[in-house]
Amino acid sequence: MTAASVTALLAVVFGSASPGAPVRAAKAPVTCSVAEPPAYYAFPLVSTRRVPGSGRAAGVGQLTFAPSPFGLALSAEGHYRYRIALTVDRLASPAVGTYVVWVTTPELDRIEVAGAFDDRHAMEVEVDFNKFLVVITLEDAYDPEAAMWSGPIVLRGMSRSGMMHTMAGHGPFEQENCAAYGY
Amino acid sequence: MRPTATDPARRGRVSALGLLAALLLAMPGAAAAQAGMTHRAMLPGGWRMPPMDSEMPVLPGLGGAVPPVSAFLPGVGVDLSSLPEAKPSVVVEMADGDTLDIVISLVRREILGRDYAMYGYNGQYPGPLIRAEQGSTVVVRVTNEIELPSSVHWHGVRIENRFDGVPGVTQAPIETGESFTYEVRVPDAGMFWYHPHSREDVQQDLGLYGNLLVSSPDPGYFGPAHREEVLVLDDILMDDQGMIPWGGESPTHALMGRFGTVMLVNGLTDYHLDVRRGEVVRFYLTNVANTRTFNVRFPGARLKIVASDIGKFEREEWVGSVPIAPAERYVVDVRFDRSGETHILNSIQAINHFRGEFYPHVDTLGTVSVSEELAESAISQGFETLRENEDVQADIDGFRQHFARPPDYELETTLRVRNLPLSIVRLMEIDTLYVPPMEWNDAMPMMNWLSTGTQVTWILRDRATGAENGDIDWTFDVGDVVKIRIFNNPDAFHPMHHPIHVHGQRYLVLERDGVPNPNLVWKDTAVVPVGSTMDILVEMSNPGEWMIHCHIAEHLHAGMMFSFEVRGDAN
Repeated sequence: MTAASVTALLAVVFGSASPGAPVRAAKAPVTCSVAEPPAYYAFPLVSTRRVPGSGRAAGVGQLTFAPSPFGLALSAEGHYRYRIALTVDRLASPAVGTYVVWVTTPELDRIEVAGAFDDRHAMEVEVDFNKFLVVITLEDAYDPEAAMWSGPIVLRGMSRSGMMHTMAGHGPFEQENCAAYGY
Repeated sequence: MRPTATDPARRGRVSALGLLAALLLAMPGAAAAQAGMTHRAMLPGGWRMPPMDSEMPVLPGLGGAVPPVSAFLPGVGVDLSSLPEAKPSVVVEMADGDTLDIVISLVRREILGRDYAMYGYNGQYPGPLIRAEQGSTVVVRVTNEIELPSSVHWHGVRIENRFDGVPGVTQAPIETGESFTYEVRVPDAGMFWYHPHSREDVQQDLGLYGNLLVSSPDPGYFGPAHREEVLVLDDILMDDQGMIPWGGESPTHALMGRFGTVMLVNGLTDYHLDVRRGEVVRFYLTNVANTRTFNVRFPGARLKIVASDIGKFEREEWVGSVPIAPAERYVVDVRFDRSGETHILNSIQAINHFRGEFYPHVDTLGTVSVSEELAESAISQGFETLRENEDVQADIDGFRQHFARPPDYELETTLRVRNLPLSIVRLMEIDTLYVPPMEWNDAMPMMNWLSTGTQVTWILRDRATGAENGDIDWTFDVGDVVKIRIFNNPDAFHPMHHPIHVHGQRYLVLERDGVPNPNLVWKDTAVVPVGSTMDILVEMSNPGEWMIHCHIAEHLHAGMMFSFEVRGDAN
């Protein structure tokens, strides 16, 4: 994925769509679209700029459902099972060590090492967390048994579901007594 | 005020004057006519608000608000004790040419210890389980004795068009006291079902559904199983005073559909099955709920997915659960290896919008008691084999030449709203920071309840022409193989998933979001999650005028449908 397409994708993800506005019928015929992972659920991978060669790096995680005879892939407990295609542009290969990909819950109570980036700085990982973070670190070596990263964080990203937040104090609930709900 | 049917081909809008009249004519106390109900929490017009999670505050400014349509409950004024008690479904084996009489009538049904006036096909819940041989034709003579016009749609059957059961398209509605005779030819093996196509948000919810199980003449069509069980999955919306009324002129719950609070399997709240250890049970699952998608689990048992709407998968697969959207069917073989009591569960990750959190939610759909006695071992061992279905693969081979070509048509799903209360609009605006691919629970019951088909228009839009719903004009010839891309636009006021049903034809789901489907099966209904793109390949094999629509009942009656024509003669 090129920088331009990443920019375009981020514009879609965080763009100026006006969800409250009525959607009107298209006036003119549209051209045939290309079927691809849903832009809505894609999320950016943002550089921490802490690692040499990563200052201009930017990437994206694109979600599709994991293979399933139902089309919709779920765990037995009902979590979505996603396959995330991670790609990063403008990331220099490390002089020493390797880039390792981790997926974790936002609370960091579950951390899983997903694998090491290939030479193209891309890989696919599967995840079934409701909300999740993708963390890419620079490690001395890839250890599939590692429980936690030890190297510096190079890039990180958050699933779109992570943007779901409490409504207490917002919109129609701005006068609501948040303390009554444990906030 | 009785529910009014919406002509699917020429859907009109309820005028403001009509709404006012409806409100004036609404019958206070109609809801209270249900047995034992009190006026304790009564709202204007006989309404009661659906139960809400105690953590979810009432929307500011909406205390005492009711939907802008009249409240409807069946059998108002009828002495419940005068109604026949509903009975469990009866199996009806039908040979080629046999005739079955079905009467649609009011019945008295007990749910959680209370009696209600509901509907039944031949007084049964579900309706009779009709079994027929592939290739046969059975005749079903339907008489309508309820207060609403009705019809019977034979869901998934590539039936002769005039018997498809769609008022305004293939037949006139069956008015109260009238009859209609359906000749149901069944060219495909599979688990089909029948239901009204006239205000099914009301009639189907009140019990009008049944299965049609069509068996292949090939005795080896499926692998071995000790027995077969039919599970019809449903839910119904109730509180401690009884059923929440339905919308009279138009459905309530138009945004998300009417989620129930009580789970029903084969119409029961306490479904139970006794099996032996090692027994392989072939479950035929049908989701007849208005809007709920289930994720069905059998903890402690092993599951093998075998078939779906119209026949077998290309190959069997082990699965951990069965996600099943409204109107879909799945056939799953389950082996119970551990003795003791286990449950059939609906396991989901629900959303608490107020807190902005997912949380695990489990409904117990039924119980299974597994005895120590061992089932016959040859069948148990045969379960270990995952079959490649070469007959299915050979059938699909004739269509693979079409898989890679661009789509012939593109549909987009979205919605338009008007006159919704401001609180709801504001809530939606902040809620769209994240819209889940699927709505597994009614996370905002009040907002959902207050939205009606008079305020919400769900839309299928032809992306090439911009035409919407009934204005879409598609014509095909028998023998055409048509690739349709369906995109569920997330940039809408309140996007939601849609189970898309095509009448009278069969289709393959080729791709989702650009990822090819590695295990095909013929479908008539498949779900498109929010933001997703689904490519389907439709075999136009059956002439006539046919519907495409969302099978969330409230979305259907909020406009999400159109008809297309297939010209030519039947093969």
